[in-house]
Order: sequence, then C-alpha cells, then structure tokens
Amino acid sequence: MSVVLYRVDERLIHGQVVIGWGHELRPDRYVVVDDEIAGSAWEQELYALGAPEADAVFATVKDARAHLDEWSRDHVRTVVLTRTIGSMRALLDGLGQGRAINLGGLHAGPERTRVLDYLHLTADDREDLGALAAQGVEVFARDLPEAPSVDLDTVLSA
Amino acid sequence: MTELLRFGVLGGLLGLDGTAVGQFMMSRPLVAGWLSGWAAGAPGLGITIGAILELFLLVSFPTGGARFPEGSTAAVVAVGVAVPFDGSGAVAASVAMGLVWGEVGGWSVTMQRRVNSRLVPTGVASRTGSLGRAHLLAIVTDFLRGAVVSMVGVALGRAGLGVVDARWPVDPSVSTGVLYVGAAVSLGILLHDLGGFRRRRILFVLGLAFGIVGARFL
Amino acid sequence: MSHDTRPRGGFGMLMRSLLIQGAWNYRTMLGSGFAFALLPALKRLYGNDPNALARAIERHSEHFNAHPYLAPIALGAIARLESDQVDVETIRRFRTAVRGPLGGLGDTLVWATWLPLVAVCSLVLYWFGVPGWGVVLAFVLVYNVGHLGLRVWGLWLGLDAGRDVGARLTAVDLGSWARRLQGPLVIGLGVLCGAVLSAPGGLSSIGPAWSALAAVAFVLGLVGGHRAWRPAAMATVGAIAFIGLWGILS
Repeated sequence: MSVVLYRVDERLIHGQVVIGWGHELRPDRYVVVDDEIAGSAWEQELYALGAPEADAVFATVKDARAHLDEWSRDHVRTVVLTRTIGSMRALLDGLGQGRAINLGGLHAGPERTRVLDYLHLTADDREDLGALAAQGVEVFARDLPEAPSVDLDTVLSA
Repeated sequence: MTELLRFGVLGGLLGLDGTAVGQFMMSRPLVAGWLSGWAAGAPGLGITIGAILELFLLVSFPTGGARFPEGSTAAVVAVGVAVPFDGSGAVAASVAMGLVWGEVGGWSVTMQRRVNSRLVPTGVASRTGSLGRAHLLAIVTDFLRGAVVSMVGVALGRAGLGVVDARWPVDPSVSTGVLYVGAAVSLGILLHDLGGFRRRRILFVLGLAFGIVGARFL
Repeated sequence: MSHDTRPRGGFGMLMRSLLIQGAWNYRTMLGSGFAFALLPALKRLYGNDPNALARAIERHSEHFNAHPYLAPIALGAIARLESDQVDVETIRRFRTAVRGPLGGLGDTLVWATWLPLVAVCSLVLYWFGVPGWGVVLAFVLVYNVGHLGLRVWGLWLGLDAGRDVGARLTAVDLGSWARRLQGPLVIGLGVLCGAVLSAPGGLSSIGPAWSALAAVAFVLGLVGGHRAWRPAAMATVGAIAFIGLWGILS
C-alpha cells in the first residue's frame, strides 16, 4: 500500500511534515484533503511551496474518498493530510479498516484542552477519534518520527 | 569586577542579536569573539578564539524551536576566560569552556522562551500598550539572561584555568591540534549537508587544492 | 498594482520586523511579535476605533512562525489584505498557510546556505592572513547586505502582491537561489579545509599525525552528519579536560 502516512496537522504541508517525516518516508506526493482549500488557488500555491521536491494534490473530502482506493494501490508514495480530525473522520468513515492515522499538530485554541504540547482536542475531536477506532482504525499521536508514539487510550485519558 | 561587567554587557547584547533583536549575526562566534577581544584590549586573541569556535559552530543555526548551542555566549566566555592567562593551554582550555558554556547558554534560551510564554498578553488583554510593554520586558530579561550567563561562565572559567594554567603539561601545538581535530568534524558535517563527498567531489577537491597552495603562498 | 492602493507604514513595519522575535515563546512562537511589527499598519487602518484595533491586535497575536528575514513578506501581504478590507476569515487562513513555506524557504536559503557561505569565506580570509578587523568587517557587511536586502524585498513583495504572494514566490523560486549558492559554498569549504591544513600555524605545521587525525574526524562528520556534532564537541572538551587534569596531578 502506498499511502505511507495519514496525518492530522492544522499546519498541513510544513517543516515537521516535509523535513521530519519526509526524510523518513520519502513521499513523492502530498494529498491535502480539505473542502475549502480545494477551491482556493492562492492557498494551494502557498502550501505547494512547502514541498518543492514532491507533488502537492488538493482534494475535497468527496473527491478524496473516491480516489482513496487508487492512492492506496498505485506506486506513488503518498502522505494524506487533513487540517482537522473531523475531515479525517469524514474521509475514512467506513473505509478506514486496517489503516492508521497520525495526530500531529493541533494547537491551543478556544474549547480545546491540552493533551500533549502539540495536541489540543475538542469534545467533538474525542468523539470522532473514538468512532474511527471503533471501525478498526489505529490512532496514534506523534509529532516527529524520532518522538515517542502515544496511543489512543493515553490520548483520550488525558 | 568592571572587567567582568564588560563581558556581561557584551554577552547580553550579543545574545539579543541571536534571536530577539535584529539577527545581524554579530552573535556568530567569529564576530562575538573579535569584539570581546577588542573590548579587553586583545583583538588578536579574540579573533583566534572566535575563528576556532566559528569552525565548530559552522553547522549550528537558530532554527525554529530546536535547542542549539549559543554561539555568542560560547565566544564571549571563551575570550573572557583566556584574556588574563598566557600559559600553553590557555586558548584550548578557554575554547573548551566556551563549548560547554555555549550549551548552558542554549539551555538558558529555552528557559527564556518558556518565561516569554507567560509575558506575552493573551486574548483581549493584547491591547497596543501591553503588547509593546511585554516585548520590552521580554527583551530586557533576555539581555539580563545573556549577561548573567556570560559573567558566571567567565568567572567560573577563570577560577578553573587559574588552577591549571601554569601546570599545563603539553606543548601549545598539541592543544591546538586537539581543537582542529574536533573542528574538522563540523567541516565534514557541512559537506554532508551539501550532498556528500561523492556528489560534490570535483568542486570540493578543486577548492581544497587552491586552499592548500593559497594559504602557503598568497 | 498601482502605488496608491498600497498601504502605508512600511518603514515602521520594516524596523519593527527586526524585533519580530523579541518575545519568541513556545505558546505562540512569533505570534505577538507579528502583531507588534504589524502595528504601524493596523494603527493607520483602525486608529479611530480602539475596539476594532484591539480585536485586530488580538487576531494577529495568534500562533505564527516564519524565518525572521522572510516574515516581512507575510507582514506586507497581511497589511495589504487588511487595507483592502478582505474578510477576517480569509486573512486568518492566509496567515496560517504562509507560515510553512516562509519557515522552510528561509531555513534552506539563509541558515543552510547564505550564512555558512559568508562565514566560510570570512574564515578563508582569516587563514589567508587578513587581519581580524578586516575579516569581521567583511563578514558583517556582506552578510547583512543579503539579510537586509531580503527583508526590504520581502516587505515590498508582500505589500505589492497581497494574497498572491504564493504565485510570486513560485515564480521567483527562492529554492533555486539556494541551489545556485551551494556550488560556491562547496568550493569555499574546500578552500577552507585546504587553508586550515597548510596555513602557517595550521595543522601541517603541528605535524602529519595531527593532519591525519583531522582527516579521520572530517570523514566522521561527513558520514555521521549532525548526529556527530555533540559527541565531537564533548570529545574535544573531554580531551582538553584530561590534559588539564594530567597537569594538576603530575
């Protein structure tokens, strides 16, 4: 399978993803799944600047669901990114069995409570994560490959 | 005491240049070392130490949130320690103290950044006046941090070097050799970052040949 | 874009951009510094309405990160968006999207290329026998021509392009500048290695054994990369401390 990472990170394509995970996983394609960005040319140009060595593809949740199977089977090493846990759930709902999602940067904000330095969740986020886990999706928090991996039980109990 | 204060002021000002104010890279060891030597009436000693520390720190930059050795502290402390001594190990021991204290400086920078998290206003409190005041306060505390760390480093280093300076057991060339060997690792890392020897061998070897001939005959 | 639509306050923002990291912190990184540097533009726009000004400052104090020399691109672009009265949500999204590339491009172009290039060339001057003040003057002047040039150009680009800085940056391709400077940097590094070897007072004057040891150390760095840095520095400190202890005990 050639989706090498599913990641939730509100910064999308940025240094930690491109340098930190990129040097480890060597992806050739970043897929940003976000309904708003998929319709915004200037935002796409900015995010694409962050990954000069790879392709950057932008898709709505609906389009991404249609292509998910194809991305998983073709030979282009792909990192799939969403800005929110909600979009990741919408993307993988019913299709997530056997896949793993990585929680990266979700920073402090209103109604979010701190779980880890780089991870702050709302009540809805917690519910979405529980629903994904119930479908057989593995969830782990890890900002960088060299950092320790934190499993979902630990994340939800914080 | 006034001499120690002079190194403190330099350490504070150059520490600010590293992150908070300007980033003109006066905080690089080459510049900070020469300035410290000049302020103490020994610019030659300053540039000697600054150049060696610059070799070591050539691959160390203030990127993002990562911790890095603080070049300004390393150079100010190393030069400050070396000034009153003339034994055969004075430069080497001072550079070693600079390398150690640069790490202490880097640690103090992360502490400063934690303190700043509390200093900057949040939410509706972030009005014009409070924003400016918070910045001024953060800059002043950062200056004091750099000054105190530098002065403590110079005082400790001098106390230590005072014990060994007259009893240094080896020739100055041996001490300098150790420094060059350590610094050579950084030069290797820089070539690694630029793509490695295999990819860069032609340009690198051309430069190497020119350097060997040039430094001897120019 | 014509000149008159560009927001004013550029010089103040440029000066304040020098302090954008003044309160660098783990919570918002450059967030409050960003608002601090943007203040001249915000005051011109919201100066008559203290509540609107306070809300704008609050919005622009949120988390932000970028290379300090490229942050003026974002400052200029957002000043432009604010003065064009673009809606708050679009500005927030712009601010979010611009962080990543300005950080990554700056690290590659400045920290990994321009700074080592000027530092290596200055060290070459030193080992070629140029007096200390000349070496330092050359470093500070040359380095900061690039540094300040980047800030001024970036602010101008941001003010001029507004939301479209992404397209303009793609066209300019700062990454290709970095790649073009890497060749000269490799040559400079070679010259520096040669000079450290053969200069009077350099390695070869100490003896061939030291030159050989240094070559081994160079290869360790070449193979190990950044992982080798701290062990090497600590080994150097350890060796010198050992010599000192030996002096005290003997």
